[in-house]
Amino acid sequence: MRERVTQLFLLALRNLVGYPLRSLLTALGVVFGVGSVIAMMALGAGMQQALLAEFGRLGLRNIIVNSKKPATRKKDVQTSQWQFNRYGLTRKDLRQINETVPGISEVLPVHARPELAWHGSRKVEATLHAVQPRHMEMFGLRAIEGRTLTDADSTGLRRVCAVRGSLFTELGLRGEPIGTSLLVGREYYTVVGILEDEPLLDYQRKAMNLDSKTKEIYVPYATLNERAGTRIVTRRQGSREMTDVELSQIVVTAEREEDVLRTVEMLQRVLARSHEDEDYEIVVPLKELTLRRKTQEVLRYALIAIASISLLVGGIGIANIMLATVTERTREIGIRRALGARRRHIVAQFLTETTVIATLGGMIGVGVGFGMSHLLAAWTKWTAIVTPDSILLALSISMGTGIVFGLFPARRAALLDPIAALRHE
Amino acid sequence: MASDCGLPVRTSEGRRRSGGAGLSDHVLALRGVTKSYGQGDARVEVLHGLDLEVAAGEFVAIMGPSGSGKSTLLNILGCLDRPTGGAYLLDGDDVAGFNDDQLSLIRNGRIGFIFQSYNLIAQLTVLENVKVPLLYRARGQGGGAQRAQELLRTIGLSHRLTHRPSQLSGGECQRVAIARALVNDPILILADEPTGNLDTKTGAEVLELLEGLHRQGRTIVLITHDPAVARRAGRTVRLQDGRLKEAS
Repeated sequence: MRERVTQLFLLALRNLVGYPLRSLLTALGVVFGVGSVIAMMALGAGMQQALLAEFGRLGLRNIIVNSKKPATRKKDVQTSQWQFNRYGLTRKDLRQINETVPGISEVLPVHARPELAWHGSRKVEATLHAVQPRHMEMFGLRAIEGRTLTDADSTGLRRVCAVRGSLFTELGLRGEPIGTSLLVGREYYTVVGILEDEPLLDYQRKAMNLDSKTKEIYVPYATLNERAGTRIVTRRQGSREMTDVELSQIVVTAEREEDVLRTVEMLQRVLARSHEDEDYEIVVPLKELTLRRKTQEVLRYALIAIASISLLVGGIGIANIMLATVTERTREIGIRRALGARRRHIVAQFLTETTVIATLGGMIGVGVGFGMSHLLAAWTKWTAIVTPDSILLALSISMGTGIVFGLFPARRAALLDPIAALRHE
Repeated sequence: MASDCGLPVRTSEGRRRSGGAGLSDHVLALRGVTKSYGQGDARVEVLHGLDLEVAAGEFVAIMGPSGSGKSTLLNILGCLDRPTGGAYLLDGDDVAGFNDDQLSLIRNGRIGFIFQSYNLIAQLTVLENVKVPLLYRARGQGGGAQRAQELLRTIGLSHRLTHRPSQLSGGECQRVAIARALVNDPILILADEPTGNLDTKTGAEVLELLEGLHRQGRTIVLITHDPAVARRAGRTVRLQDGRLKEAS
């Protein structure tokens, strides 16, 4: 039996090689069909991974509450000269969350506000972020020079900061950055670390409370609280504006991913009690990820379905050319039948040929798909991941295509009347 | 070509037990075989009740002009077609009622075909052509590759094993066809105008080959329109307008 299969295979191979152009044209459909399927699957896998990376950065167990300026304000007082804005999250909220909301593993406050950073006579518009040291670790803020903030900085109420590299260059500073003194607002801070400049995605910015244009200066939350306070006074055309936002952000980490949605509900209840206005928003990376995932899946399946159509066309091409081949080899079929070939032998012979062509086309298609996916990835700036799974799948599909679409021509060949076939041509 | 070409003699192991009453030594027997095509008004009867018996080891020539139903008879004898009526007993089995698979097996194992136009497969080498019938043997029968090579050697074509039919002369092609016909040790050799496409000299060589096979005890039925060819056989039967008549 094995000998017969080997013989069939070798015969099929020889017929393939004997007519190289025809074999190539036959296989072409499958080549591109498989190629597109592989490319689409690779892009899909890349998209998935990118999504996970994007949200993984923010922490899937995190719930981020950002203060936001409310549309209508009930408590603002306006006189002819002063405007008082007081909104957003407070230290009281922080306490309440810590005390009343269960299932939380940590809570991190952030106070951020726009400030001018000075060095000598040069100034740059920046944002001052007063954070707990753990915050930098949680959001993957890494120092390329020096270090990030530590617990010692907090307990020691040190006036230290870690800044983005771009801020440094805009201030016209060169040379050793560590130890430089910067005037931020009305306080001097010593630089202990430079953070890498990263291109962040929109959702990441929103979650991390970052403006795309300004550059961040990170200082210990404890230091700012003790030394500078949270009020900002600005002067504008004669009138003065005072803004007091105690906390611009609270990051709550749930103990387990399953608890996140429940914790969000409880947070909302706790905050609603003490906030009359809508001066905060809750950002849940996990929810956003789930949503995006769903959309992405639909897209992925659509892409793969479209790619599969080209595979279908490839299969039809095989059937078509095989029918022509059968007609061409009618005489041969008649001879084999006269010599005792049963119908199933004829079917096996032609089916082997189509399967071999389709599988070889599939293998070439994998290579083509590999190339296509990397080309597309380079063009769209997505990533492409060709997994062994997808290769195996594509090869089985091409083999299956060979079998399914080869069946019809093979049966036609087998059902030929030997006598008529011998007379043919 | 030597008159004794050293072709393997039929061994007793190759001969099947024959069944049926009174047919113990006949390789084939036709009893009232008819063949017609079409239905109703368009019905054409090509063979009208043929009777024929061929004993083991006979060399029979069937002669007839074109239109006499020669091809039809050949197809029936070769189990490529079934008679419309009557019985065809081949080595004791009535094959008239056999299905396609069974007939195929019979063609493979019991009959060796030799065609006027050789009918070799162009993409295969000489050796591979001779081995084709081995591919389709009944389950459980392996091997035979040695036999193929041996046959080609005795027929004098060992030096052409890897050549394609297109590289051979007509006579060589027919000799390959003969080797192919013998590879499964058939009980009957059926030759349809074997010298029809050959010149006189080559044709004579092929006929000598066939005579050699006959001398070794093989049963040969040869179809021809040429009386000179028919004379080489031991017995001639005439086919005229769908009926058989003994001639010599």
